[in-house]
Amino acid sequence: MNNLGHNYKPVLEHIMRGEVEKKLHGLQVLPVRREIAHEVISLAYGFFTPVSGFMGRDEVDTTLSRMELPDGTLWSIPIVLDVKREEVKRLGLKPGDSVLLEYLGAPLATLDIDEFFSYDLGKMAEMTYGTRDVKHPGVKRTMEYSGDFVAGRINLVNEPVFNEPFSEFWKTPLQHREAFAMKNWKNVVAHQTRNVPHTGHESLMKQAWFAANEDMPVDEIHTGVLVNAIIGEKRTGDYIDEAILLGQDALRKGGYFKDNVHMVTFTLWDMRYAGPREAIFHAILRTNLGCTHHMFGRDHAGVGNFYKPYDAQDMLKAERDKLRIKPVFLRENWYCPVCNEVTNEALCSHESQSQNFSGTLIRSILTDGVKPTKRVMRPEVFDVVMSSAEKYGFGSPFVTNEYLKSRQPVFNLKKMEVFAS
Amino acid sequence: MTKDGGIKIDVWINEERLEKLKAAGLAEIAREKFAGMMVLEIACTEELKDALLRKYPSAKYDSSTTHSIELIPREAKDRIFSTALKLHSTGPEVISQFLQEKND
Repeated sequence: MNNLGHNYKPVLEHIMRGEVEKKLHGLQVLPVRREIAHEVISLAYGFFTPVSGFMGRDEVDTTLSRMELPDGTLWSIPIVLDVKREEVKRLGLKPGDSVLLEYLGAPLATLDIDEFFSYDLGKMAEMTYGTRDVKHPGVKRTMEYSGDFVAGRINLVNEPVFNEPFSEFWKTPLQHREAFAMKNWKNVVAHQTRNVPHTGHESLMKQAWFAANEDMPVDEIHTGVLVNAIIGEKRTGDYIDEAILLGQDALRKGGYFKDNVHMVTFTLWDMRYAGPREAIFHAILRTNLGCTHHMFGRDHAGVGNFYKPYDAQDMLKAERDKLRIKPVFLRENWYCPVCNEVTNEALCSHESQSQNFSGTLIRSILTDGVKPTKRVMRPEVFDVVMSSAEKYGFGSPFVTNEYLKSRQPVFNLKKMEVFAS
Repeated sequence: MTKDGGIKIDVWINEERLEKLKAAGLAEIAREKFAGMMVLEIACTEELKDALLRKYPSAKYDSSTTHSIELIPREAKDRIFSTALKLHSTGPEVISQFLQEKND
């Protein structure tokens, strides 16, 4: 099987399997927070191929200045592990050491330390996001780093055990490729989402399916839509993760997509809202999953007014030759009362009568618990979103403080008796 | 925003609410807003908006696009709808009355 990922680099897993406990005895332990743990897991399974560990200074430098890795591979977002200087000193860590990363009170991975370095956080933020404004959530995240970083390769020692409903949707990059092969998909178009689907999203996915099918005959179907949700940092008002996954899956279960053209999975990643640079990252990520095409709509991965609506599409066009995935560029869908259908602004001339799918408007409807018309949201999607609200969201399909505090974890880690006494 | 550009609260109308509006002879004040979705737009003043946001810290005012107050809890929306029915109105007196009742 061809398991080549971004820039024709093989998608490799970096996982220690078997009796790992003995190998970990005596290692110093460095606890990591959720966002780092998620990136450790993604690095280890090859989601970020060819990056297989936390970046060193040179990699960060070239990522920021030339948007590439030192070997010239296109790369847009720094993948870094910040540490507290006093903790490094306390543990006596130095380049060449291995350290055990701990999360949820259990071993997670080993890090083979290559380098310690400091970095100007303002520069990192400005070159990644095009701004130093801390109102930008990515800038805020960067400015909260300690400024001291450790670089090195990762080896996962404890594979995450995903809880329901996440377990139903979890696939590693290699498992994605196996699943595509099982479905006889030759072309796969990725849909990046953090949303519960309304009919505007559904229609965009259907438009993208035809684009991705290209010139393949349709007597037998060999093209699929991969809905790859981003599961990571949540803010109040976001849709809860469970409603996103189950709502997207309800489109197929409700028959709006056939079984042989639709699949829902997720990737552990905290959205950076880096607009154009994040669009490049998403293209790389889905290349590594085995996708051949990727949907990019208006203001992809943007936030507020930090980027122009088609900045991301412009950057993808500029970097097209360095990508192994074809962008499917889309304009917005709207509901047109004249056409009496959900249609695309690139096609419909009734602009003055168009009704836009605003996220605010859909949220307002769901907050009232009012079942939308079928033209707005499929009843099966609405039903599963509201049942997810009851089951997982403390009564709300949106993230609340209670959800942030008490939600069930996405995954658990097996406890091991390895910590140094 | 309301037709005259002011601050508003959207109360979405499902079949049950529509029946109540019809029974009160108010069905014509609900308008189709989006793809067949009906809405009752309750007008709000700046002062009432601030009072609502104080009362419901999770609520947000969308000042850039819709000029509507969003994420008001569902129970509160139900009571705002009932108040509009009772007063046969969608004017700011609905929110004023609602807040007074809430304070009682």
